[in-house]
Amino acid sequence: MQDLAGEKLGDRLIAGWLSGDHLRFASDEARRTYRARAQLIVDTIRLKDTGRIPVIPAATQKFALDYEGVTFREAMTEFDKAFAAYVRQYEDTDFDAWVGPEFIFPAGMFEALVWNRVRLPGVHLPGDKSFQFVEAEYMKADEYDEYLDDPSDWVLRKYLPRLSPRLEPLAQLPPLRNTLVFHQGLPDLVLAAAANPGVVDAMAALKASGEAVQEWSEYLARVDQELGGRLGIPHLLGAIAAAPFDIISTYYRGWRGAIVDMYTQPEKMKALMERLLPWQLQYGVDGAKALGHPIVTVYLYKGADGLMSDEQYEEFYWPTLKRLLVGFVEEGLLVWVFTQGKYDERLHHFRELPAGTCLVHLESGTDAFRAKETLAGSQCIEGNVSSALLAAASVDEVEAYCQRLVEVCGEGGGFMMDFSAFLDEARRENVKKMIEVARCWRPSS
Amino acid sequence: MPRELQDAIVALRMDQALTLAKRMLADGTDPLTIIAEGSEALQEIGRRYAEGEAFIPELIMGGEIMKCLSGEVLPEDSGSDSADSRGIVVLGTVQGDIHDIGKDIVALMLRIGGYAVHDLGTDVPVEDFVAAVREHEPEIVALSGLLTLAFDAMKSTVEGIAAAGLRDQVRIMIGGGAVNENVRAYTGADGWGDDVAHAVKLADAWTDGGP
Repeated sequence: MQDLAGEKLGDRLIAGWLSGDHLRFASDEARRTYRARAQLIVDTIRLKDTGRIPVIPAATQKFALDYEGVTFREAMTEFDKAFAAYVRQYEDTDFDAWVGPEFIFPAGMFEALVWNRVRLPGVHLPGDKSFQFVEAEYMKADEYDEYLDDPSDWVLRKYLPRLSPRLEPLAQLPPLRNTLVFHQGLPDLVLAAAANPGVVDAMAALKASGEAVQEWSEYLARVDQELGGRLGIPHLLGAIAAAPFDIISTYYRGWRGAIVDMYTQPEKMKALMERLLPWQLQYGVDGAKALGHPIVTVYLYKGADGLMSDEQYEEFYWPTLKRLLVGFVEEGLLVWVFTQGKYDERLHHFRELPAGTCLVHLESGTDAFRAKETLAGSQCIEGNVSSALLAAASVDEVEAYCQRLVEVCGEGGGFMMDFSAFLDEARRENVKKMIEVARCWRPSS
Repeated sequence: MPRELQDAIVALRMDQALTLAKRMLADGTDPLTIIAEGSEALQEIGRRYAEGEAFIPELIMGGEIMKCLSGEVLPEDSGSDSADSRGIVVLGTVQGDIHDIGKDIVALMLRIGGYAVHDLGTDVPVEDFVAAVREHEPEIVALSGLLTLAFDAMKSTVEGIAAAGLRDQVRIMIGGGAVNENVRAYTGADGWGDDVAHAVKLADAWTDGGP
């Protein structure tokens, strides 16, 4: 989609993000540093041979909180404490981008709704543990037709009530599609609301949840201003979209339900993925516009090697994922494709996308050296330094692995240093060594 | 007929397998024969998985068919520590971690492999592992955890079993996407695996008297 001047949305957003004009820079040096880092990241995704290796964080979590002895529970409720920890961590570690606080969600958002999909520190888990999501069957096997017929109705009256006991009264409302005029539909809707005090309580719970998110969003803006405007570190994470298969298998049917559907009702599953695809595309594009950020991130969950056969991947997973990624690329956006799990056998598919459009994250289970061979000249890769190595190995072991990584993957560009997964337990000296190895690298030619 | 049932399960045809099982039952076939045929089919799927010819969906779908089939022909299988099992395993995801997909598949594969498995679920406190070891007297304790945050809980669980005086009676394996030899050494476990097949191989090696 191009505007009248022929400029793509992504071009405009990249220029804006590179300028950092959304930030109030504390100094000229901060502005220069920010712009140099953002430019290096974009150039590396574009496969320019910059002679340097950017260092990015998949996301720092407990690793950052430990700088101020903040627990997960505190980070989800007392944002000033989390703010102080993140600032100290990013002051102490020389990353070219920041990611992390936006994944430690406000406890109030979940607690106001008694959200079933999450187990919270300080409520269900010890306060120093990370919150975790519960994958379950929130959509029944026989609800595909209902969903396809009226998705919003299903979400309002089936999905939300299953996710939150506070929202259960919404199931009692009549279908919104019946609401037409004063003598048809409208009386049914308002009477249902009036007859059920739970509906008013549900609205109050939504409001309370929203207030927690408002407060948290203000905190995130302060983090961006401090890390971006004062330290000159760009925020790498923009809008997020999901692969249609992952939506069904992770959020709706659960992995077990999705597998059974692959065998028992494959056509309905594909029809639902077709329905989800344009919405995810629109969601990502709208999010990129709203945030003024040119990178859309797609976290991949159920497509890893071993989770399904190549044939199943090619039949169920890849077709709608590919069209999603192509859709973003056609808008001129960059895509951070965050693979999770072993991805050796899948990476070749990313060669089907225009070169220099994706940043492909690799977990430690994926062979980064083989990935470099597979995607050289096609897409930028990043990640792979194992959490276990950073948590439990010696500095020398970390150095040896990272050195090999930069020597093989750094050559010719298209590589960023990063760890394998969201960083919790890790020795600071190991993380600093990982960064140092990337900083000291120079191309051999 | 039995061969037909096995073939239907291996081909993952749920409806056909259930129809055949019901017909066999109506014809007077012993329910235990039907279950035995189903188990053989699952073993075949497990063999294909171990050799890289089948994937997790096949394992899970095979397990689902077997679950439905058992429901049709038998009361719920209690999974007792039968004398002819290859060994007893107590398994669970350690405290603070609620991830269950890997654990569930390891449990399924161990059951297919002939082990009596006591699955304690997720977010399992140390004392529950200790109590289960006392109660079931397993040869193997399998600790699962996806998160790096699980490393400390694995270590505490190993220490808890030792503090209860039970360490010499069991071998302890840890499993999960992020574990490696460093983590095994840190936690004090006897072995580690980062995929399902690894867990079963390790269990087989241990019950065969291997190191």
